[in-house]
Amino acid sequence: MAKILMSKEVYDSAARGKVFADTFKAFWNYRELIVLLVKRDIAVRYKRSFLGLLWTLLNPLLTSLVLWFVFITIFSAKLPDGTQFAPYLLAGVLLVTFFTQGFNQAADSIAQGSGILMKIYVPPQVFAFAGAISNAVNFAFGLIALAFISLITGDGISWYFPLTFIVVICMLMYVTGLGLLVSVAYVRYDDTRSIFSILISFMMYLSPIFYPKEILSDNMLRIVNANPLTSFLDVFRYVFSNTGVASWADWAYMGGFSLVILFIGIRSFAKAWPRTVVMM
Amino acid sequence: MSNPVIEVDDASVSYMIRHGASPTLKETVIQAFKRESHDVEVKALQNLSLKLHPGEVLAVVGRNGAGKSTLLKLLARVLPPTTGRVVVRGSVSPMIELGAGFNGELTGVENIVLYGTLLGRRPKTMRERAEHIADWAGLVGSINLPLRTYSSGMVARLAFAIATDEVSDLILIDEVLSVGDAEFQEKSKARMAELIDSKAAAVLVTHDLDAAREMSSKALWIDHGKVMKYGEVNSVIDAYINA
Repeated sequence: MAKILMSKEVYDSAARGKVFADTFKAFWNYRELIVLLVKRDIAVRYKRSFLGLLWTLLNPLLTSLVLWFVFITIFSAKLPDGTQFAPYLLAGVLLVTFFTQGFNQAADSIAQGSGILMKIYVPPQVFAFAGAISNAVNFAFGLIALAFISLITGDGISWYFPLTFIVVICMLMYVTGLGLLVSVAYVRYDDTRSIFSILISFMMYLSPIFYPKEILSDNMLRIVNANPLTSFLDVFRYVFSNTGVASWADWAYMGGFSLVILFIGIRSFAKAWPRTVVMM
Repeated sequence: MSNPVIEVDDASVSYMIRHGASPTLKETVIQAFKRESHDVEVKALQNLSLKLHPGEVLAVVGRNGAGKSTLLKLLARVLPPTTGRVVVRGSVSPMIELGAGFNGELTGVENIVLYGTLLGRRPKTMRERAEHIADWAGLVGSINLPLRTYSSGMVARLAFAIATDEVSDLILIDEVLSVGDAEFQEKSKARMAELIDSKAAAVLVTHDLDAAREMSSKALWIDHGKVMKYGEVNSVIDAYINA
């Protein structure tokens, strides 16, 4: 695979590189660009909407509110003892928003930036990573609202809550990997977005965002537990407000799956991207 | 003599396209299952070799579809050759489609910083240079307005000013010297000459053959990916005109 390099080194198309090490090195070397791209994302969102940054907070809050009204009577009693439905729901909505939006933006940022990426040398992986980070920032804003809801409903905040950072790192790897994996298809084909949005909603509904796992049949539970998003949700709820259980298996599944997806994404992107550039 | 900025050694670019390929993923998957498709090989560039030293300017001429933009992608390091080898030493300033990479919602200054960083410069340097760049582009009054309020000429002027603010080792130019009004054209030509005097190498893709003769020392004529003639600028352009 061709070497990924920084903009002022000598470029030799015949030099072979190590694709993983090179990609991580590029993330580090282009950190100033990543910061600018994240700031641009946030600034553009802020400038376009009347409510500005508040909208990013309001959106998951309103979604949660609607789901709360619809499902409170059905699911509330099914939750494990001492767990309140409102923070359970908001935690799920926030993390899944991070997942869906992060994936979309990671994949889309390369398609959106393809105009410049085909003309100026910037490792496109940097764009995908920046797209994922923008959504981690949104998620961090959301945590403030979640902390507030957790406190007033009496769930409280766990002493383990700094470990949420690990969940964020894993989610960054997961969505960057998935984004890189499909981004080439985004550039080449017009209908990819709609096809993938269906797959993503499958993954959403097959994870306990608004329903408790306790309502599932054994077969369904097996499917839902196989979904890495379920481990993310279990771990996140456990470390943030000490509700539910997260076993070591959940931690391992979350971390392992994210890492594998990231590596698959990096590898497939490095192979597919030059073939796409040549056709454009 | 110093090392050449560009060394292209027997480079070819080719790729396969599906006959009747469609722009949707669904159709592509269906076609793959039906096995109806026939792959066609496109040879975008064939066995190209060239060298360019600091301070030299190469004009690239040829009809549409000759492979000029593929050549620019090779030199901009965006595309590796299918076979052969491309070596580029130093920083590259691509002036291709001025304004790609800009964001309409951001102000002029914010775009200066972002675009400069995309070109491999430091954000801090760009912030310091922003005022000078705006001044050079004649945009001091509107530099804090969102870019969507600019005319296309203003956008192109800003992009040119950012790209040429620093002396790069290699400048890639695709039909952009016709930017702006007559006054700005004079100014940008003078700036190009300055950069070349300070030992930047340049590759100039253009249909303006007079400009090519005036600015370049060497020329390359390509047609359908094949090298028709490569050498001293006047002899190549004469051959191109007479073809």
